[in-house]
Amino acid sequence: MSYLRLQGVEKRFGSVEVIKGVDIEADKGEFVVFVGPSGCGKSTLLRMVAGLEEVSAGDIFIDGVNVTDLEPAKRKVSMVFQSYALFPHMSVRDNIAFGLKMSKTPKPEIERHVAEAARILQMEELLHRRPRELSGGQRQRVAIGRAIVRHPKLFLFDEPLSNLDAELRAQMRTEIARLHSTLGVTMVYVTHDQVEAMTLANRIVVLRAGRVEQIGTPQQLYDQPANTFVAGFIGSPKMNFLTVKAARADAASLTLSHPSFPAPVRTPNRGAAAGELLLGLRPEQLHFEDGPCRIALKTDLCENLGGATLIYGQTANGETLTLQTPGRRLLKNGDAFSAGFDPAGAYLFAPDGRAL
Amino acid sequence: MARAPRRLLHGIGLLAVFLFAVFPFYWMVSSSFKTQTQILASPPIWLFHPTLGNYAQVFSDHKVTRAVISSLIVAVCSTGISVLLAAPAAYALARYEFRGKSDLWFWFISNRFISPIVLALPVYIIARNLHILDTHLVLILIYITFILPIVVWIATDYFRSIPKELEEAARLEGASQFDIFWRIYVPLGVPGLAVSAIFGFIFSWNELLYALVLTRRDVQTAPVVATSFMSGYEIPWGKIMATGTVIVLPVTIFALLVSRHMVRGLTMGATK
Repeated sequence: MSYLRLQGVEKRFGSVEVIKGVDIEADKGEFVVFVGPSGCGKSTLLRMVAGLEEVSAGDIFIDGVNVTDLEPAKRKVSMVFQSYALFPHMSVRDNIAFGLKMSKTPKPEIERHVAEAARILQMEELLHRRPRELSGGQRQRVAIGRAIVRHPKLFLFDEPLSNLDAELRAQMRTEIARLHSTLGVTMVYVTHDQVEAMTLANRIVVLRAGRVEQIGTPQQLYDQPANTFVAGFIGSPKMNFLTVKAARADAASLTLSHPSFPAPVRTPNRGAAAGELLLGLRPEQLHFEDGPCRIALKTDLCENLGGATLIYGQTANGETLTLQTPGRRLLKNGDAFSAGFDPAGAYLFAPDGRAL
Repeated sequence: MARAPRRLLHGIGLLAVFLFAVFPFYWMVSSSFKTQTQILASPPIWLFHPTLGNYAQVFSDHKVTRAVISSLIVAVCSTGISVLLAAPAAYALARYEFRGKSDLWFWFISNRFISPIVLALPVYIIARNLHILDTHLVLILIYITFILPIVVWIATDYFRSIPKELEEAARLEGASQFDIFWRIYVPLGVPGLAVSAIFGFIFSWNELLYALVLTRRDVQTAPVVATSFMSGYEIPWGKIMATGTVIVLPVTIFALLVSRHMVRGLTMGATK
């Protein structure tokens, strides 16, 4: 039986349905990331797990207990807020000890737990300070300290890194990953940043408009996206999509044609009918002037990243493709070139976005 | 070049406002150091040998000291009780959704729409029927009805500016409703509560109308005593002015000390 289970969970604000029947399961010790564009309901879903939002329909189970109607405090979950939500009038020590004090833990035990949390997060010398005397990264650490000190069953993170600058964000990301492996606890993490999702998660839940689009490991989502939305959301730069005409070549394969293909491309048929299809190609699958199948392109823009170059090219249909190539390439706008790919690794989607 | 004249005009304007506001105080304080004939002289005497005679008279008159004590009792009690009652009310108004919330909210302030004198007679009759005329209690009760809305309004505004996540974090940490109010909102709301308490205190310290109507002899407050020196045949201006100065001085000093906080309290929520 899974440790965290959401079963047909729905949320309505008045007549507006923001979560439309979500089923999610996670095992003990997993790092689950809810990811999706803003407004997809990921934060609302997390707040429902925390008990800060009421559940309109469905059930939530934590460690086998139905917590749907339980008070937040009784769910034994901790949450790190985007704004950290530290109590400004209390010292770091009192902030961390707040929950233990509320549960009437004996003083010596509180001392011990606070000292332990401070040691894990390396902030022993900050305990007497007030939150306003701390940097963003330190505040973040205090917020995490407040969460771990009560030994909750579940850690919830609501976009915890979005207020930090890029360098600190990367640093805190690795710290959270380290914390997860040291503590071995179950974490649910909300972000709109697919890089955070890919690097931290054991299991990613991709959400769109209140619905789960796909659940899987980062590699599964990257290799076998369920639809064009997931394919476009996971991976950076984004996957390219080309509208192609498919015709049955024989029982087991299709031929794809496109005005920019010098020759039709043959791919194994994965159950598509003939007609229009979407061909998905990741920028790292396209090779500059190399590969068994080619696409003729006209340069739109070149971005030099130092070690690699991003080339934006236009097809005869006006579709823009991004191509990532190692080393430095200097192409002028309008220069013609070809991008090559291996059809065996290409993604195919039905016109409605479903993966084939 | 257009700057200099503009600044000059600005300065003249400020001076005018300053004189308008301060002159009555100057007149009161200077008169308190004059003899009756000097006060009534026309044209006014600007330079004179100050006398402390009026103050000697005031402090030898037990009425005045007793009145100051009465004023203190009434002001402290009405302000204290108002803050105690208003803080939880303000928290509820700031953070909870309930039926009739906006009506209640409006009702608090609409009490202040009525000119106090309209209610003076009914209040007098009620107080007389309850046999609480000429007691501290009646003034405390009446002043609470005036101060409570002010405290509720200022404190609600202040509580609203406290981030909601703090309450949510405390809830997740197992804090009860009362813990959240007492350990989060009250300590963080101290500036707002203090400002409203100061306004309440100054209001009850200065209030004259109801003090005049509802008290006789035993619990006259300071402003009432100052006016009580006017008899039918003689108005002892020096003594009245000296009493006025004694009444106004502590509040003025107090207000100057906390003026920075008061301005902050009144503009709260205006900028974020």
